[in-house]
Formats: sequence, structure tokens, C-alpha cells
Amino acid sequence: MFELVLQAVFSGVLVGSVYALVALGLAVAFGAMRIINLAHGELVLLAAYMAYVVEGRFGLNPWAAIPLALVVVVSLSWVIFKAVDRIREHRELNSLILTFAVGIVLTNAILLIFASDVRSTSSPTLQDAISIGDLFAMKGEIVAFCVSLVLMGALWWWLKKSWYGRAVRAVSSNREAAGLMGIDPARIETTAFLIAGALAAFAGVALYTMSVVQPAVGHTFTVKAFIVTVLAGVGSIPGVFLGALLLGVTEALTVTLASSALQELAGMVLFLLVLFFLPNGLFGARARRG
Amino acid sequence: MVRRILVSAALGLALGAVGATAGHAQSATKIVIGAHMPLTGSLARSGHAFDEGMRVALEACNAAQPRHRFEVEEIDDESTPAKAVSAVEKLAASGAAAIIGGYGSNIVGPASDASDKLGKTYVTAGAVSDELTARGLKTFFRINNNAGYQRGIAGLITDLKPTAVSIVASTKEAPTLLAEGLEKELSAKGIKVTVHKFDPAITDFKPIVNKIKVQDKPDIIMMSAYENDYVGIVRAAKVLKPDVKLIVGAWSLATPKMSQEFPDLMTNVVGTSFLPFPVEVKSPEGLRFAESYKAMYGKEIEYLSSLAFVETMVLCEAMVRSADAGTLDKGGLPAEMRKTDRPSILGRIQFDATGDNPNFALSMGQHRDGKIVLVSPKGAATGPLVYPGLPW
Amino acid sequence: MSAKPASFRPTMPETIAGVALLLVAVAPIVFDVGNYALGLLVSSLVLAGLGLSWALLGNLGGMVSFGHAAFFGVGAYASALVSARLGLPVVVAVPLGGLVASLSAITMLPTLRLSGPYFALAILAYAQIFRILATEAASITGGAGGLQRYPSLPTILGLDLSSRTGSYLLVLSVVAVFAGVYVAIRRSHVGIALRAIAESEVATRVVGVDSLRLKAWMLLLSAFMAGVFGALNAHVIGFLEPDYAFGGSWSMMPIIAAVFGGYRTVLGPICGAVAIYLFDQLVAKSLIPVGHEILLGVVLAVMVLIAPNGIAGFVGGLLDRPKGGRPHVAT
Repeated sequence: MFELVLQAVFSGVLVGSVYALVALGLAVAFGAMRIINLAHGELVLLAAYMAYVVEGRFGLNPWAAIPLALVVVVSLSWVIFKAVDRIREHRELNSLILTFAVGIVLTNAILLIFASDVRSTSSPTLQDAISIGDLFAMKGEIVAFCVSLVLMGALWWWLKKSWYGRAVRAVSSNREAAGLMGIDPARIETTAFLIAGALAAFAGVALYTMSVVQPAVGHTFTVKAFIVTVLAGVGSIPGVFLGALLLGVTEALTVTLASSALQELAGMVLFLLVLFFLPNGLFGARARRG
Repeated sequence: MVRRILVSAALGLALGAVGATAGHAQSATKIVIGAHMPLTGSLARSGHAFDEGMRVALEACNAAQPRHRFEVEEIDDESTPAKAVSAVEKLAASGAAAIIGGYGSNIVGPASDASDKLGKTYVTAGAVSDELTARGLKTFFRINNNAGYQRGIAGLITDLKPTAVSIVASTKEAPTLLAEGLEKELSAKGIKVTVHKFDPAITDFKPIVNKIKVQDKPDIIMMSAYENDYVGIVRAAKVLKPDVKLIVGAWSLATPKMSQEFPDLMTNVVGTSFLPFPVEVKSPEGLRFAESYKAMYGKEIEYLSSLAFVETMVLCEAMVRSADAGTLDKGGLPAEMRKTDRPSILGRIQFDATGDNPNFALSMGQHRDGKIVLVSPKGAATGPLVYPGLPW
Repeated sequence: MSAKPASFRPTMPETIAGVALLLVAVAPIVFDVGNYALGLLVSSLVLAGLGLSWALLGNLGGMVSFGHAAFFGVGAYASALVSARLGLPVVVAVPLGGLVASLSAITMLPTLRLSGPYFALAILAYAQIFRILATEAASITGGAGGLQRYPSLPTILGLDLSSRTGSYLLVLSVVAVFAGVYVAIRRSHVGIALRAIAESEVATRVVGVDSLRLKAWMLLLSAFMAGVFGALNAHVIGFLEPDYAFGGSWSMMPIIAAVFGGYRTVLGPICGAVAIYLFDQLVAKSLIPVGHEILLGVVLAVMVLIAPNGIAGFVGGLLDRPKGGRPHVAT
């Protein structure tokens, strides 16, 4: 039993690191603009399909798709941002509906272009097993974990140390005051949204290398990213990483100790519990109640 | 899409020309068959495969006799019951003589109910639930059922005489049904069976496979699931390397597509299949089907398109008999369907009083070096089973 | 924002509009458009009812939900099970389904304290949970295999409600009744209070309105309505399974319908649902057979950008313009 639990925790951490990658983008956009981009999961999915194109069409390692994925997803993010920016009334609600609509458009666009077949990497190296003591994983998963860790670290450093990063924090904290300080909120928001898009690109490619994608999956990932954001609370990047790991581990442990039929249930219940009882999330710095 | 249309038009013209020269002066009576398929929605992949097999069958049926010309009017049911029911009503209203049903017991159920109320014969190859044949409908016919899959898989497994088997089953309807049936049948034969049900959203199967490796310690892992699950399960197994001797799955596994897209995962994996690959069908009808299908769609025949091909052929032939006897408009089609007794690439096709095909049983195919070899039952085998045989 | 006098007597223009609507509503029967078309209309009216319940929650409760499938599915299963297992007549089972949906909403009361997007997705989480529970509780619900053997709509006073005509009239009537309830609430003191809350919760609390209590009632009412339509749909279709009853499109379509039609009005969601559904089935499907939902997404996006108050709002804006423009509510 113990080795089962250990392996479950290990697997959960690896899966969680990809959830973190997916959630980071959503969290950054939300932190800066108070906007939830419900099309985020579809952007991630799009990047995954870019990886499929690069691997399938050109025979390269899927990670070589990063430049292409970045270009495609960041451009789309910019378009979405511009659209959301045009909303004047009831910004919170209408941006939810708008990004929801964009999500529908993207999912169906992917369906139209790529059909509904399941896709995943066929690279033997990435699917190869690697063992750390008694614990096993796919090489692709370890790579994804490292990428996630690096990006999280980079993002955290950027927000803390760089001028732009501090400006983002200022804008999300108090938009008007930041403006008075000489920061252009609009530019900062754009930057944050584009960074969110870039993170989505990495997440999508990572996803392709260690999991299976099909058009319907975009929505699932938006929901998972949102759950992680709630778990983490607003304002903490390491919190997002840890919250994602928590979700991954909870899912894996539910499978191991209870039943694998209940994996999704566990995630949802965890989500609701944190929503109700921990208003600031696990690591957050700001109240979230209505 | 355009290419498809062009090729089928060309093929149609060719076959039509042959038919025309064969029965020159005679003008054929036009008979419309209605069909509802999931061309969009979650079941779209199956719907498209069905659609393709059906169209090849119609071409073949038209070419085989000059007296009646069959056409299909197809409506997309979008993988939902409501639209399937509407589709059936619309087709009946516009004069379809019979209905070919789509995919999924939850869709076929209401649709065939509606069809029965309208007095139209309904044929399906995509709904395996036992409930469907328990309704006492006289107009409902199907060529495959859960029992047949179970027969094929259980047959292979019991022949190998394992001590323990672990079944990994998706909580969706068909996999659950299959898993429960297998559990009963295999336990009755003294084999220890453990079933692990999983939520279809799961992508990381390592915890489940680890449980199997550490707790169940079976000889055989059986996967009752769909393509995306198979990939995840076999990947997890390749990583964890449980001490098993064989990995067996159900539908959509022993296909050329799977071995092309995931070659490293498929070696020695066994799944249900009718046909070996490269296609070595022995029957002339099967060969013609394989060739026409390749010409029309540019790919190999596989499981779903074969199902649709056979059901359409069977329906068509019964309709020809009924039309010739003048009973087609008078409700004589169900009786003609019940007279069906013919061989096919799926085996012998007959219909019992409930509309089920009692002979339906699957062969099992094993992936080997990019080929698929039929390994069970012995009568249909084209090669020996590699056992133990694993993807690693 | 104009608060109408709390009078229930219809004005002349309203009476004319009402009669016109009645004529439009019975036209399909009078002109005998056929079973297929009637079937489409029945489905669109089910969506209309669902859209109405969603708009009610959004408008009067100020809460946007992305998981109305939760109530829809609960109502469907409750009605089907109660009529199949306990033998209750369908006329009783359907409202009972709505009631059970309301009860399920009681478990969601803690979500009322959450702000916009959190509430929206919390309801989605509930929808997922219910779906999984329905799959797991196979001995009760039939699990993934689904439920088929439950009664369909009965024959009342000689009219077979399970026929296309009958079900059309039934669903139409229920939509009309609920629309009437919605209008009545809007015009009542409760409605005014709720709309005030939607504008400024702080101010209303100062004045002494118990906003949380009112919001809770709206949630329960919205759940009841959605549950009734879920139940009706279940008996019309004749088959239930968890993925269908709790399917994402029951959460998605009412949003598109209500936003398109104009969710601030009562007729908006209804007409929006009929328009969107018919557009989807008759036009979009023939243009783009696979993935035609993309057009719906485009419609929704465009509406939010150009006409966030929907067609009704757009038309209303046009009608108001000669009089000097509509007062704009600042963000």
C-alpha cells in the first residue's frame, strides 16, 4: 500500500505540474485584469495541436513546436484581449460570456481543421520510462515538470524583480493609483494577457507530450485551471504551482485509495471545499467573496 | 471532402455504367433508405466510419441487381437522442422505406422507438445494450451486441487459462456493460477477476496500473475502453512494467490506424477485430468491399465501416426480396429480414425473434510489426498468438 | 432605470402584443407544419424555458450560472425515476422533478456569497458532481446505461400529450406560465428590490433589504423552472443517461439564447432560444455539418460586443433613440 501511495503522489505531482502550467496563464490574466479567460483551455489545446503539426508533418520533436505555438497562441491572445477591452458595461460578466464564446469558436475550429481523432506524441524517447528508485514516470512527464518549474520560477522572479513585473502587480492592486504613478494600465494589461498566452503555449506543447488531446478537451482544461486558481488564491505564483500539485495528488490518491471512477469528483469537491471554507485560497492574499 | 465526392461520383458512374449496360432498357424503381448518424458531436468518428461503410454497401447493392435503385437520405443526429428522433420522423415523413440507425444505445433506443411507432423497419450496428432487444419491437434489427464482444474476448482469455485477470473499464455505457459481463463469465470459470472502473476524463493511468501491478498481480490486463484510454493505459503499463503476460482490449484497438499512430505502444496488444491487416479477407464479397472502400475513401476497411457495410447489405437484400414480392409497401420487410441467413465478413447473419443476431461473435486480432494477425477463435485465425506477448 | 408601477393590468400595447404572440404560438398547429418541424419547436421551447430560468437568475438574482445543466438533469432524473419506480402519474412527477431540483439548489446556497465568475463555475462544478453521482448510483439511475423504461406524457382530456402536437402545446403552456410568473415577480416589490440589488448591493443593504434571502429564493425558483423543463424534456425524449441529462450544452445554449435575445427582458430568452435553435438546426447545420457550433460561438461573441442587451435591447435602443437616447448605466 505504501509503495502505491508513493507512486500515486509522484504521478500526481507530475500531472499537477502540467496543471500548473495551464493554470499559470489563467492566473496571470486574472491577477492583472480581473478577467477570467474562459477560452484559456482552448488556447492550450491549440498549442498542443501545433505540436502535433510539427511532429506529424515535419517529424521533429514536439518541443520544437514552441516557436510556432508561441506565435499562434500569443497572437490569438492579443485578439481576445482587444475584444475584451472593448466591453464597456458589466465588464466581469460580459467578458466571461465573450471568452466563453471564443472558447466555443476555437474548439469547433480545431474540430474542423484537425477532426476529432485523439492525438498524442509518438516519440519513443518521450514515452520511454524513467525510474527514480522505485518510482516510475515517462520521460516526457519529467521534461514537462522541469519546464513547468523553470517557467514558474521565471515568472515569479519577473513579477518580483523586474520593473514590468512590479508594474503588473501595481495595476492589479490598484489600477488608478498605478496610473497616477506613471504606469499605463492598458499596456500593462496587454502585457499580462500576452504572457498568459505564452504560458498557454508552453502548457499545450507539454500536454501533447505526456497526455492525449482531442478537441473536446479544451473546456476541461479551462475548468481545471480555474480550480487551481481558486485553490491557490489570488496573488501568489508559487501558490498556483502548489495548488496544482495538490489537485494532481488528490486525483491520484483518490484513484489509488478509493475508486478511479471518482477522480473527477474529488477535484470538484476539493474545489467547492476551498471555495466555501478558504476564501483566500490556500496561499492567496486577497478576499474573494462577493 | 471534395475528393471523396469526386471519387464516389466516378465510382458511381462506373458502377452505374456497368449496371446500365447490363440491364439497359429497364428503368429501376427508386427506393429511399433513411439513415441517421452522428456526423458531429462526441460520436462523430464512429458516425463517419459508419457512413462510409454504408455508402459502399449501397453501391454494391445497386450494382448487384438492376430492378431497384437504392438511395440514402442521411441526417446528422449530432450524437443526441432528441435529434435522432426528429431525424427518424423527418425521414419517415419524406418516404424512407426503412431506417439505418446510428451509434450509441442511448440514441438508438429512442430513435428505434420512434421508428417502430411509425411502422418503419430499423437496422443498427452501433448499439449493444441488452435493453434494446428486451422491448419486444418487431421492427428492430441489429447485427452486433454486447454478448458477441463478450464471447470473443472471453473465448480468447479462457483458452489461455490465466489465474487472474484485471479489467480496466471506462464508466461509459458500453465498456461498463462489457466489463460486468466479462467479470461474471470469467469468474464462473474460476478465474480471479478484479474490475477497476475509471472516469473517462482520466489521462494518467499510472495509479490504476500500479494498483494492478502491486495488488492484483494478474496474468492478463483487459481494457474495456476507447482509443484515448488505450493509449494512456498502455503507456502507463510500459512505464510501470507490471508482470503480466498479455494486454487485451475491446473495440477500435486492433486497427491499422492505432498501429500507424502509436507503433511503439501496440506491439503484441490484442483487440477485437474482424479482419487481419493487411486485409486478407477470404470471401469475394469482403474483397470487393475492401477494394471499393479503398477506392472511395483512400483507406483500409476497418471495424466500424465493416459493421455498417454488412448491416446495409443485409437490409438492402431484404428490401430487394420484399420489393420483388410486392410486400415492401405493405409492411412485409420485417418478415423478409427474419428470413436472412447469409455469411458475411462478420460471420453468419441471422435474426432471432427479438431482432438480435445470435451468431455474432468477434475474432481477436494481435498487433505484430505493423500488421494485425487474427488469433482467435481457431476457425478464423490467420496466425498463432504470441503469448506471453507485451509492448515492451 | 425605470421602476414600473406595481400594477398587473396590462396596457393596450401589451394586450396587442400578447394577442400577437398567441397567434404566432398556435400558428404551427393551425398551419400543420408537420411532426419534424413541431419536434424542432418543442426542443427549442425546452431551451426557451431553460433560458428563461437562466435569465431570471441573472437578472433578478444578479448571478450568472455556467452550470444550469445541474438543475435540468436533476429534474429529469427525479421525474423519470419517480414515475417509473414509484408509479406516480407524470403530471405529478414533472413538478416534483422541479421541486427536487430546487432541493438540490439548497446544497448550493453557500455559493451565493461568491462573486461573479466564482459562482458561475461553482455551479458548473455541481453539474459535474451530479453527473458523476448519477453515473455511480447505477442501481438507482441505471448508471451509464441509462434509463429508458419510464412513462411518457399522458393523455389528458382527450389530447395525447406524447404526440408532437400535444407536447408542443404542453411545453408552450409551461413556458407561458413561467414567463407570466417572471413578469409578475419583476413588477412586484420583490422584483424592484432585486433589480436594485443588481445595481448596488451595498446601498440596498443599508436600506434594509435582505439581499441574501432574496437571492436564495431566486436561485431556488430558477432551479425549479430548469428542473421542470428537464423533466418535460425527459418524458418527451424517452431516454435518459448522465452525459445527456447533465450535458454541457444544457448549460451553454441557454446562455447563448438569452444573451442573443436579450436577457434583461422576458421575451428575449424565449425568442432568442427559438431563433438560435432553429438557426442552428436549419441553417448552421447545412452550412457547416461538422462543427457548426462555431457559428453559434461567433453569434454570441458578436452580440456581447455590439449588443450586450441582445436583440431586444438593440431594438429597444433603436426605438428609444428619437426620444433622446437611453440613459446609460455606467460601469
